Amino acid sequence: MADQDHRHKIDLEQVAEHVEEQVAYGLEVQGPVRPTRTLWRDTVRRLRKNKLAVAGLIWVSIVLVMAVTADLWVPPLLGDPIALDTTQVSARRLQPPSWEHPFGTDNLGRDVAARVVYGARVSLRVGVLAVSISVVIGLLMGAIAAFYGGLSDTIIMRLADVFFAFPYILFAIAMIALLGPSETNVFIAIGILGWPSIARVFRSSILSVKENEYVDAARALGASDPRILSRHILPNAVAPIIVYGTMSIGGAILSEAALSFLGMGVQPPQPSWGNMLAEARSMMVVAPWIMLWPGLAILTTVLAFVLMGDGLRDALDVKMKE
Amino acid sequence: MVSFPKERGCELSNRFRSIIAVVLAVAMLATFAALGGCTTSEEKADEGGEGAVKGGTLSQFIVEPFAITPTLAYESEGIYIVSAMFDSLVEYDPITSELQPAAAESWSPNEDASVWTFNLRQGAKFHNGREVKAEDFKYAWERMLDPAMASEISYHLLAVKGATEMLEGQATELEGVKALDDYTLEVTLAEPYPDFELVVGHPCLGPLPKEAVDADPKFDENLIGNGPFKMAEPWVHDQYVKLVRFDDYYGDEPYVDGLEFKIFKDAETAFLEFEAGNLDFTEVPSGRLADVTAKYGEAPDGYTSNPGEQVLVGPELGIYYANINNTKAPFDNPKVREAINLAINRQAISDALFDGSRKPADSISPEGILGYEAGMWPQSRYDVEAAKAALADAGYPDGEGFPTIKLLFNTGSYHDQVWQLVQADLKAIGIESELDSAEWAVYKDKLKKKEFDIARYGWVYDYPIMENALYALFYSESADNQSYYVSEEFDAQVLKARSTLDLQERLAGMREADKILGKDMPVAPIMFYSHFDLTSDRVNDFVYSPMNIPDYVHCWISESTE
Amino acid sequence: MLKYVARRILQMIPVFFGVTVILFILRAPGVLPGDPIEMLTGDRVISEVTYNQLVQKHGLDQPLYVQYVTYMKNLFKGDLGLSYKKNRSVTEIFVEKYPYTLRLALAAILIEMIVGLSVGIISAVKRYSFWDVAVTLSTSILVSLPVFWLGMLMQVLFGIYFKRWGLPYLPISGMGNPPDLAHLIMPAITLASVSTAYVARIMRSQMIDVSQQDYIRTAEAKGLKGGAVVRKHALKNALIPVVTFIGIDLGAMLAGAILTETVFNWPGIGYEIYLAITARDWPIVTGGVVIVVIAYMIINLLVDVSYAFLDPRIRYGGEAA
Repeated sequence: MADQDHRHKIDLEQVAEHVEEQVAYGLEVQGPVRPTRTLWRDTVRRLRKNKLAVAGLIWVSIVLVMAVTADLWVPPLLGDPIALDTTQVSARRLQPPSWEHPFGTDNLGRDVAARVVYGARVSLRVGVLAVSISVVIGLLMGAIAAFYGGLSDTIIMRLADVFFAFPYILFAIAMIALLGPSETNVFIAIGILGWPSIARVFRSSILSVKENEYVDAARALGASDPRILSRHILPNAVAPIIVYGTMSIGGAILSEAALSFLGMGVQPPQPSWGNMLAEARSMMVVAPWIMLWPGLAILTTVLAFVLMGDGLRDALDVKMKE
Repeated sequence: MVSFPKERGCELSNRFRSIIAVVLAVAMLATFAALGGCTTSEEKADEGGEGAVKGGTLSQFIVEPFAITPTLAYESEGIYIVSAMFDSLVEYDPITSELQPAAAESWSPNEDASVWTFNLRQGAKFHNGREVKAEDFKYAWERMLDPAMASEISYHLLAVKGATEMLEGQATELEGVKALDDYTLEVTLAEPYPDFELVVGHPCLGPLPKEAVDADPKFDENLIGNGPFKMAEPWVHDQYVKLVRFDDYYGDEPYVDGLEFKIFKDAETAFLEFEAGNLDFTEVPSGRLADVTAKYGEAPDGYTSNPGEQVLVGPELGIYYANINNTKAPFDNPKVREAINLAINRQAISDALFDGSRKPADSISPEGILGYEAGMWPQSRYDVEAAKAALADAGYPDGEGFPTIKLLFNTGSYHDQVWQLVQADLKAIGIESELDSAEWAVYKDKLKKKEFDIARYGWVYDYPIMENALYALFYSESADNQSYYVSEEFDAQVLKARSTLDLQERLAGMREADKILGKDMPVAPIMFYSHFDLTSDRVNDFVYSPMNIPDYVHCWISESTE
Repeated sequence: MLKYVARRILQMIPVFFGVTVILFILRAPGVLPGDPIEMLTGDRVISEVTYNQLVQKHGLDQPLYVQYVTYMKNLFKGDLGLSYKKNRSVTEIFVEKYPYTLRLALAAILIEMIVGLSVGIISAVKRYSFWDVAVTLSTSILVSLPVFWLGMLMQVLFGIYFKRWGLPYLPISGMGNPPDLAHLIMPAITLASVSTAYVARIMRSQMIDVSQQDYIRTAEAKGLKGGAVVRKHALKNALIPVVTFIGIDLGAMLAGAILTETVFNWPGIGYEIYLAITARDWPIVTGGVVIVVIAYMIINLLVDVSYAFLDPRIRYGGEAA
């Protein structure tokens, strides 16, 4: 939990608290129905009023668009982020920012701006894919634990405890050591390490719903478990999962950067913000600009996800309704 | 036999009672003249170090060593400390690498160089005050070969008769080593080996006081040696190793009061400490040479630093090369290996990572090695057109049909940048490749199992002789032959040269062997190592040898200007 | 209460054995790529004889279950084995490093408490003021910062540029010899940064929550002045989650702080374990993880127990909720 290791757990505690309250409250007010269109419309309206969340959304969209379209404009405008001409290395390396190279050039003469943009691809990919893995495993585990209870609940929750007992970054490093360092393995590792939090959030939402009489009623009417799950329980757990997922993307981006910084993540020549920082560390004194950009990119992107997450949480928080 | 006085300090030469045998002098003088502008240590001693003052502690950056005991030290960090604390039978001149007497005053081989007799200096003492005897060498060597120690540097002694038996646990005594009396050590080899006298110059082959080793279970961290410095306190792991001057040392008295080896995790951090004024001797971080040199000045000979001439970039006896898997198609085709050799822009690698200080390798044998001759590997140069032609000759015009290959290197350090450049060079002649960055254990495993195409490899000479690389790296039966190159012609030539008694003939034979390699190009040499270090502005007359051994005795520290 | 503690300790046992068994499975040949013995060597290839000697020296010639039994036996004697890479006793390594990790962790916790709590209180008391907004935004920034980058920025600014400009500057690496406060400042701030932001946020939201509770309103209605209300009632109750957080955070910090330790060359156990994983130095990895997990579990237990003292409503009985 030292360093950034604790992000997942802390988010969990804050989110879980809110979730339990809001799910319980939401049910009281709205009864056992799917969140209505109005609820979503309200959410969007509230979200729009939150300027910081809107700013986060805009920044994430900009980064996303730049990353997706990178192949079209980066090589002609800034230069190739990976390819090298070894005869030009001495002439081009370590240039300070200029019109031609707005962020300067790196030690092998490549444009830092181009590498930062391509680094965004890695970060977003890892962020989204890792969180998707966490969500899928987490939902499954949470549902099994809450719905069947008893032994399966004990086993799953103990397993989650074991995951929490390990220091996050060390666990991730150990998994990468097992799988080998690569982008795919990084999001797999981060994804797997993220499930216990989702499972806990989801489990507590289900438990609070399960207590309700309408579930008993549905069951008495012969509804099957999967049907109860999909018709009555999932819809009520969607909001917390969205909030938690958004925040987790930021966390996953930071984890990827940390792993790549330690040489356990995305490998060169593929640029990632983390491995660019590792490289920049040795150039810290001669070429401090190299270290500035990937760091700023991580900060702004993660911040954008955090602000969006905060905004969504407030917007979806029924308790806060005027 | 040529005689020559011990170079360290003239006051000692009258103590010499016998004529000292030196084999290398003539050849070395030539090499030495070629280096140009070097001061011999003798001249330096005459100058009296101009205003040399005593006192001060020299602090040096090291990473946490595996071991600092001569029995186990295999990396340079440990050897720095060992070399300050122990004297072997002979030692290498800090600049020319030629042999000088150390613990032994004189030595001589029998007629076929299979039995060597070393005459020890009398009155030389261990740090505990006891006199050094011939038995102490025998004990130290046996300890290195003791299976219980599992020393990785036991290979130094494999030429000695009975060493293998001892390593394998079939003998408890080293048959080939006898203390004829307190001051005479006789070493019998398994087979004639004229270069053996250079082997015993390795800093780890010094004597050990048995009684002290037996008495202290932590001896290996609280050593007692026979060199100019002794331990001030036991090794403090991950922090420092502190040594102080040993006042009863037989040789020249060091100027400095002590040495402090400060342990940091990497050169970057150490350099930041250096800039903060907390280190006297450290590495220049990768890519920093130009501005560091501009700021601190370059040592004219590359080995001797003084205030204002603080950056050391002299060549070292070591090479960085692309190890090609000779057993695997298409690399079993010499034309393909030739194309790879011609494709690599060595200068760009040196420029990007070492500010041009490392010399592009034009063969496997570095300049400064005994018997060196330029241009032994004519195809080890950068020529894109010739590379394309060679690749076409091999049946892959523009790389058509050539498989995508993997470039293997160990994670960390500057390797990923080197291999990104090589990758770009190979792409330029039509060979597509992927980088395969592996942790050390995995990297070593892949080499061992021949599961690689092209891999990073580095070789640092143990002794300043060509044979040390040619035989070890390319002789078909050698364990270090990890390119798995096999050539009967080369094997015959290197074995023949190895046992030739006459030095000049031996060197000529080695050059012939090297030429055979130049024709076959089993690997692609990239660059010769060179120093990439600097000292602080208070350090004077500091000599850092091409074998990476600093002369801690003759350097001195100016009174602090701050 | 005692029963609860005993039960928690009993629960630790399977986790403990589970963890050690997993670590032993991982070190079985062929599970992870790479031969640990090769980690001991440099570029030179070692002879088969030497290789076998090393295998024997580290007991790797025994079947895995025998190695496990031997390991567990030695573990109870406090012997964690011999490091492959460092040629030293693992126990000795951790005994030496733990105080360094502790030193950094305690410094960071101190910063968290002082800065985090006061900032949290100020922003709760002055809710919706300029300060409150500034705190909200800056804590968001802090939790989004890669800590290693923050460390590097500080090194460049306070270590290198300050020196260049002739200002008082800070040492950038190590602990100092002997250890001193100056070396501790930047690593402690770096390590504390994220958690300080969380402490401030939790403190703020707790204070606000608590102040909306009936008993606070009652107190206010009874005529107590704002400041007194904050001191007497809000603070004490708001503190509980903060204490929990700091406790858990301390537990995690006792596992070492790999990134901070890497950036600042701090000789703690986090970096040690990280290096050991990449070096396949299993004795250090196993020993380190065992220690870390035990430390973490003990701290968690202490945190749970301290609840009972802080919040009289909580009582641990037979079945804990």
